[in-house]
Amino acid sequence: MPGTIETEGALVSSNVRVGDGVFLLKVEGDYSAVPGQFYMLRAWERDPLLSRPLSVFDIDEEGISFLYAVRSRGTECFSHLARRDVVTLTGPLGNGWERRVGRLALVGGGVGIAPLYYAAKVFGDTDIYLGFADMPYLVDEFARVGRVHVASETGTSGTLGLVTAIFVPSGYDACYACGPRPMLSVLDRICRSTEVALFVSLEERMACGVGACLGCAVKTIHGYARVCRDGPVFHSSEVVWDE
Amino acid sequence: MSETEVVVGGLRLKNPVIAASGTFGFGAEYGEIYDTSQLGAVCTKGLTLHPREGNPPPRLCETACGLLNSIGLQNPGIDAFIREELPRMKDQAITVIANVWANNIDEYVAAAERLSGSPIDAIELNVSCPNVSGKGLLGEDAAETARVVQQARRVCDKPLWIKLPPTGGIAIALAAQEAGADAICAVNTFRAMAIDSNTGRPVFTNVVAGLSGPAIKPIALRIVYELVAELKIPVIGIGGIVNWRDALEFIMAGAYAVQVGTANFVNPLAAVKIVGGLEGYMSEKNINNWEMIRGSAQQ
Repeated sequence: MPGTIETEGALVSSNVRVGDGVFLLKVEGDYSAVPGQFYMLRAWERDPLLSRPLSVFDIDEEGISFLYAVRSRGTECFSHLARRDVVTLTGPLGNGWERRVGRLALVGGGVGIAPLYYAAKVFGDTDIYLGFADMPYLVDEFARVGRVHVASETGTSGTLGLVTAIFVPSGYDACYACGPRPMLSVLDRICRSTEVALFVSLEERMACGVGACLGCAVKTIHGYARVCRDGPVFHSSEVVWDE
Repeated sequence: MSETEVVVGGLRLKNPVIAASGTFGFGAEYGEIYDTSQLGAVCTKGLTLHPREGNPPPRLCETACGLLNSIGLQNPGIDAFIREELPRMKDQAITVIANVWANNIDEYVAAAERLSGSPIDAIELNVSCPNVSGKGLLGEDAAETARVVQQARRVCDKPLWIKLPPTGGIAIALAAQEAGADAICAVNTFRAMAIDSNTGRPVFTNVVAGLSGPAIKPIALRIVYELVAELKIPVIGIGGIVNWRDALEFIMAGAYAVQVGTANFVNPLAAVKIVGGLEGYMSEKNINNWEMIRGSAQQ
């Protein structure tokens, strides 16, 4: 993207466990992004080989933060970062979400809630639907930037069940969503039948993060698109859901 | 003549650092991050006569110090490349090497002919892509390799390079040289695979994918070293180069230039940092000509 820069030697200001295997990493510095954009991060020299794409959780006057779940060796490395440790960031990358006029809903599942916080903060006046497998996290933080509705699959907090069960599309002009593909696919059906514009943020294995390697291909009605460059945000009607 | 300049395979490059095919698109994305005309040249994404959609995802799998890819030559086709991508690359003063793959010799020849009339600077015949299902590698057959070079040579007045697989051995390179190739690019990715231990199934639809990255560097270096010892035409070294010292090793093995591939994914500035690193090395060691160190390991 124009404006993409590589920042070496960025300092970690905090890295806090906020949920089961979920961490919030804050990095000092002056960063910019549109809600839904991401950065490639690394905190190691050569191993693992690739950087990891993390979507922007928040940007404030102190720096930028990222919410991530420990899934593989890269995110495992991130989980050990401490204050004053050094990371390398490349970004902002991807297209991000554009604010539509009208009533807006944000829907996230699991660590897919990551990009919703900054979207809620920047867009203002949103309803935020958060779904968790078990114990919810960061609900109070989200409550400061929008009206929060919580679902959890174990019923630990909020409504028992999936977030797609508590999301009622009527009255919304647009919905912004990020989470597991089955969740997005259900939302696509819900929003299609109620004619709510749905903008989903997709995930795929990435190498370059800038659109050069064609590794993060996702099937769309126009052919393969690059999640990192043409996305990560797609209008849900462009995505081929039944692969 | 600048000290870093090198003449290789019929082409004068401002330095010996080339972005490898398939890792740099058509230069546009990295061009937003830095001035890519600082590189010796850019090899385009593999081009085919007709557009190709590429392989279904997943297309990537990270390995220990390496990367498996199964992109499957997704590209807009040669005509769209000439019409839409090439003018922009030339506007940015990039030296353009068109990497070309085809189903058979006739298609290679047609592709070479079409590109010959365009303002590209050289052709890299890709006879070593591991990601097209149902076919062996043309570049593992000496007679076929000779034929494709000979016939492309007849219709094309651009420098003709050929990118070989790591498995063909010296006979293939000698056949390409004999047939009139201007340079040998070695090596393409290694045929490799991954299995998902949760499902018991191969990760990739095509089963086999191409392995690149630091994991292959010592093997690629050995192959380049052996090719240089036997060939008269220049060898361009490729395989797991991530920093200027890696690049230097290939030059000391006898390579005239190097291609930087997977490293671009590790750090978007990797290739241009290698240029800077080599310049720093030359000035520190008072080297004003690549011949002073090229092939030093061969003696």
